[in-house]
Order: sequence, then structure tokens, then C-alpha cells
Amino acid sequence: MKNRWFWGRLLSSIGVLAAVLVLNFILFRVMPGDAVSTIIDPNFSPEAKDRLRELYGLDKPLLEQFFLYIKQMLTFSFGLSFLSRKPVWDELLSRLPGTLFLMATSMFLSSALGIWLGIKAALNRGKLAERIVLRAGAVTASFPGFFVQLVLIMLLARTFPIFPLRGSVSIPQPVGTLSVTLDYLWHMALPVLSLTLMGFGGWALYVRNLMVKALGEDFVLMARARGLSENRVVYGHAFRTILPPILTILLMSVPGLVSGAVITESVFSLHGVGTFLLEAVSGHDYPSAGAAFYMLALITVISNLLADVVYGLVDPRVRVGGRDQ
Amino acid sequence: MRDILKRKSVIMLICIFFAGFLGPMLISGHPSDVTGAPFARPLWWNAKLPLSSEYVVGNSGVEINWEKLPPEIFALNGRITADPEKEVRIIWSTPVGEKTLDTLTGSDLYWINMDGRDMIFKQKLGLPLIGKSAEHLFPMSGRYSLRTEGAMETELSLSLSGGREGLLGTDQRGRDVLTLLIFGIRTSLIVGISATLIASLLGLGLGLATGYIGGLFDAFVMRIVDVLLSIPTLPIMMVLAGLWGKGLWQLVLILSIFSWMGTARSVRALVLTVRESPWVEGLRVLGAKRGYILRRHLVPEAAPILLANIALGVPGAILAEAGLAFLGLSDPRLISWGRMLHEAHSFGAFTEGAWWLLIPPGLGIVALCLIFMDIGRFLEEKIDPRLGSGKNA
Repeated sequence: MKNRWFWGRLLSSIGVLAAVLVLNFILFRVMPGDAVSTIIDPNFSPEAKDRLRELYGLDKPLLEQFFLYIKQMLTFSFGLSFLSRKPVWDELLSRLPGTLFLMATSMFLSSALGIWLGIKAALNRGKLAERIVLRAGAVTASFPGFFVQLVLIMLLARTFPIFPLRGSVSIPQPVGTLSVTLDYLWHMALPVLSLTLMGFGGWALYVRNLMVKALGEDFVLMARARGLSENRVVYGHAFRTILPPILTILLMSVPGLVSGAVITESVFSLHGVGTFLLEAVSGHDYPSAGAAFYMLALITVISNLLADVVYGLVDPRVRVGGRDQ
Repeated sequence: MRDILKRKSVIMLICIFFAGFLGPMLISGHPSDVTGAPFARPLWWNAKLPLSSEYVVGNSGVEINWEKLPPEIFALNGRITADPEKEVRIIWSTPVGEKTLDTLTGSDLYWINMDGRDMIFKQKLGLPLIGKSAEHLFPMSGRYSLRTEGAMETELSLSLSGGREGLLGTDQRGRDVLTLLIFGIRTSLIVGISATLIASLLGLGLGLATGYIGGLFDAFVMRIVDVLLSIPTLPIMMVLAGLWGKGLWQLVLILSIFSWMGTARSVRALVLTVRESPWVEGLRVLGAKRGYILRRHLVPEAAPILLANIALGVPGAILAEAGLAFLGLSDPRLISWGRMLHEAHSFGAFTEGAWWLLIPPGLGIVALCLIFMDIGRFLEEKIDPRLGSGKNA
């Protein structure tokens, strides 16, 4: 991993993060509307207004504010929320695991199901499996995820009350680690299920196309000629070669995944960063909104970097450093 | 290119266009007018539910034959003139007994304004405060009558809002869902098309400029593209919608800022290949200026790509608009399909089981997206026949 390629990726991640930081700063300081105007009553005395400005560091010159802001963002000290007057970081920290869990499980399930179906489709061309994959891939792209989720709630939480209507935990919360875990999983089932349902079609279609191409290559013919078992040929040889492009798609899907998680959390009223962002935005709570946005961007950048590392492990051309990215 | 008018999706799009822009003119009244009881079912849903009905209550009262389930709202409006000395009583007689709705004395003119949903009304009649009072006023099917006693002149109107209203029912405020749906077409089309148009023009301009000029400018713009493609756009759009306000054109602007990258990339790639081709070199040798080459030769080259990009970009913009509106980040006065889903989600569609608030706007969004995708694919095949199945090439 000690090659130029990896350091290049790290540098580019840092570049994206820097751009996000600058964007976040510009959005909240230079935009029309004073950041404190929402908590400052017009009837306040000028001294009180100044004191509030001082409290939030808005009296200093813009450049100094910028450096202060960078320092705050890098040390995760986001200040106090305008709405709850509590530290933003504490609130974010309590919501981060939920969002990460939702994203990770739905990504894992939809990619696993999609890859499995995609390979099945490529092996059974013209059969039912392939037709399902081709249809699902095209149709799910046109469905707004939240609409599917609303219909699922209507069906599986209201008409047939199998799953809870909303929330991350039951009220009152059950006692005992096991029942708390089960209760959480029960609440997360429908969100994860719906995200998987919306996500696997695209995966399957993509993997199917890659796999069809890979199975037509000469090395597959060679492997078959050597008398290797079909499983060995498909998974050991053909699938191995399409891993890097799959990882590329994984990498590119992360921003969409974050957006999907934000909407999903709102639909199911889950305790997560997305609902926090929505509450902050609709309540004009600027420190919280900025921090939540920064957090979501950070999740994206870090998972992109992780995908890059795995990419390096999977693709030997990258591992030896011969590939110019 | 003429067979585009025979394509089913194009025909459907034209129909939707007409519905969206002529429909609102044909519908009398404002979409936010209350037309019936909240959460009324669609007309064709359950024949046991009553339709809305109005009765004029004159001096002799009115007789009603009730065969269906109780109505949703029981409302009585109008005036009664009487002798101030005498007591006036409004009596509702049901198959199981009589109820005195109100007893009035001491005036020669009474204005009546009763609504079965009012707490005071329920309290006066001794009905349970939670639940529909109309269920207690209509305990079973049979003959009902409303009459006044001791009045000189009765001019009342009894309106019974039914549980069925309109082709697609009503929402939580009693607005007609079909009317809202038709008014929502316009928002989706305007936002989807204009945001994509602006984004495509932006992408065209930047793609041409970066491809042709190259150098630092190219590197700079392409880095911006990389950054914008690798950060989640929904959170940043939410923040912008929160900061900038929520009007229609703000939404269009926000959406177009975050959807020009793809077009810019493909136009740039095209320009990079065309720039080195012999005929462009020939133009340069002839002394053509850079602006002339770009305007007269490269823009027409890029136009087909642009057209397909626009058609394929509209679904993304429609979905993004619906998403923002669904999160409540759109103007509440602006009727849109996303907004309808937002209101259904926030105002008790689930407790009511009101599927008719979810399915029409949701399927509307899906239909528009599928139509534009189909048109986009059609245009792509026209540009590059190798993509197609061979049927349309």
C-alpha cells in the first residue's frame, strides 16, 4: 500500500474534504440572512445583539472566522445548537450509529443480493432470472425511494401490522440487552428492507453486464478446458476479474446512499443524522445544520477512501503500483 | 426523427402536458378549496359509504331515508325567526328516539351554525367528545327527520358530508385529491424541465469551454465536477433550500446547480475528440476565430448529446424536487406531488389508512420519470444506432 497511487487517493480525499469545508463555511456565512438573525429578536438592545454575535464568534473578521471554523470542524467542536442549547457534537454522536447501521446493512444486503442475482442472470441468459434482473434494474431507477417506503409502511405496518409505523425504539423501551437489540432490529427491518429493494436492481443489472462480458473471455474458455469445476470457473476466475469495477460502483454509490439514508430516516422517523439535519434546516439551527452536513460529507469521504484501500487489495495492478490513476 | 410522434411515451407526455396546463383552467375553483369531509374515500371505493347530500329544512321540516353508513360530518346552517316569548327547539328524530339539538329563547331571529365536530355541540348532546358525532346521530338505517318546534319561519340547510367524495377522495383538509393531482403536474413539469434545461446549458457552456480552452481552467472545473460528484447532494440541497427560501424558482436554481456535471463531462469528452479532427484544423487554417468554431461547429456537434441528456436528466430533477418537497422543504402554497406525499405522511394518512393520498402522486412521479427515460433512450438510439435493438435504427 505504500505506493504513489494510495497517497494520491488520500490526497484527493483530503481535497474533497477541504472543498466541503469551504462550501460549508460559505453557505452559512456569506449567504443572505444573518446566521444569528433567527435567534436574535429585532427588539433586542444593540448590546445584547453584540454579545450574541461575540458568543458565536461572528464579530471577528471573516478570515479569522474561517480559521476558527476550520479548527472547530477538525476537532468536532461544533458549538451549541440554537434550538436545544446543547452541544451539537453530543447530539450527533448519539445519532451517528443509527445512520451508519442503516447505510451499511442496506448497502451490504443490496449489493450481495444484486451480485448474486447478476451472476445468476449472466449464467442463465434468456431465462427468468435474467428477465427479472433486466426489468428490476430499469424500473427501480424511476421509483422515488420514499414512495416505495410509504407504500410498504401502508401495507406492512398499517394494513398488516407486522412492523412498527415509526421510530427507532419502542416506547416504553424494553429492558435487557437482548430485547433491546431485537426491538431495534425490528424497527430497522422495514427501512433496510426497502433500501435493499430499491438498490439491488441497479447492482444486478451492472454485475450481469460485467459477468456476461467476463464469461466470454478467453481465460474462461481456458479454465473450462483445464477441466475446472463450474463453480471454480465462475467464482474463482470470471468473478475475480470483475471485482475492481464492482468496487468502483460501490465507491460511486456512497453519495446516493447517504441521500437515501436521509430520506429514509425522515420517512420512518428514525433517530439519525438525516433527521437531525432536517430538523436543523427547518428550525434554522445553523450550527447543527452545518455540523450534520459536514458529518454526512465526512462519512462519504471516509467510505470512499476505504473503498479505495480495498480496491488496492483486490486489483493486483494497483497493488504493485503500475496503474496510473 | 418524425416517428418520435408515434412513440407511446411521447403521446402520453403530450396528454400529460395538456392535462397539466389546460386542466387547471377547466377546473373551477381553487385547488385548496374544501370540497368534502377530510379523508373521504374515492367515489368508486365502497358503495356502503354515503355520498354528500344537502337538505333544505323549511317550516315543515325534512324527512330523510337513510340506508347507508353514517355520514362524516353533520352540519346545520341558516336562520330561524320566532316569537321572542316562545321557546324554539330543533329536533332530530331517529329510528331509536328523538334528540333535541338546541333550545333557543329570547330573540326574534336566531342564526344557526352547528357542526357535529364541535366540542360544544358534542357536550350539549352528551355525546362522547372523542369520535365522530355523526355516528351517534345516525345509529342505524331507517327514517330520520329534522324539524323545528315553536318557530315562525325556518330557513335551514342540513349538509351531510359523506365518506365518499371525488374520483380520488379528499385529503386531510377535505381538498379534492384529483384537483391537487392535476395542479401538481405543472410543478413537476416546470421544475423538472427548467432545472434540467438550465443545468444542460451550464454543462454545455462549461464542457465546451473546458474542452476547447483546456489548461488550468479545465483542471479547475474538472476538480469541481469531481467534488460535486463525490459529496451527497441531497443534504446540501436541503441546506440551500432552508437558507434560500423555498419558492419554485429557488428550487429550480438549487437543482440545476447540482446536476450539470454529467453533461459537462460528456460535452468535454466530445470536444476533446472533435478539436483534433482534420476539419476543425482546416477551419483554423482558414482563419476561423475560436468563438466562431465553437458556436457554428461544436455546438451543433454537441446538440444531439445534449438533447438526450436533457430527456434523461428530467427524471432525476423530478425525483429530487419530489424528495425535497417530501421533506417539507418546498413552499406550502405550491401544490406539488412531493408536497402531497409530505402532507399524507405528516398528517395522518397512515392512521386513516388513506392509500388514495399516496398512490396517485407517487404513481404520477413514477409515470413521468418512466416517460422521460423512454424518450431519452429513444433519442440516444437515434444518435447512436448501435445502442438500439435495431428496430428503431
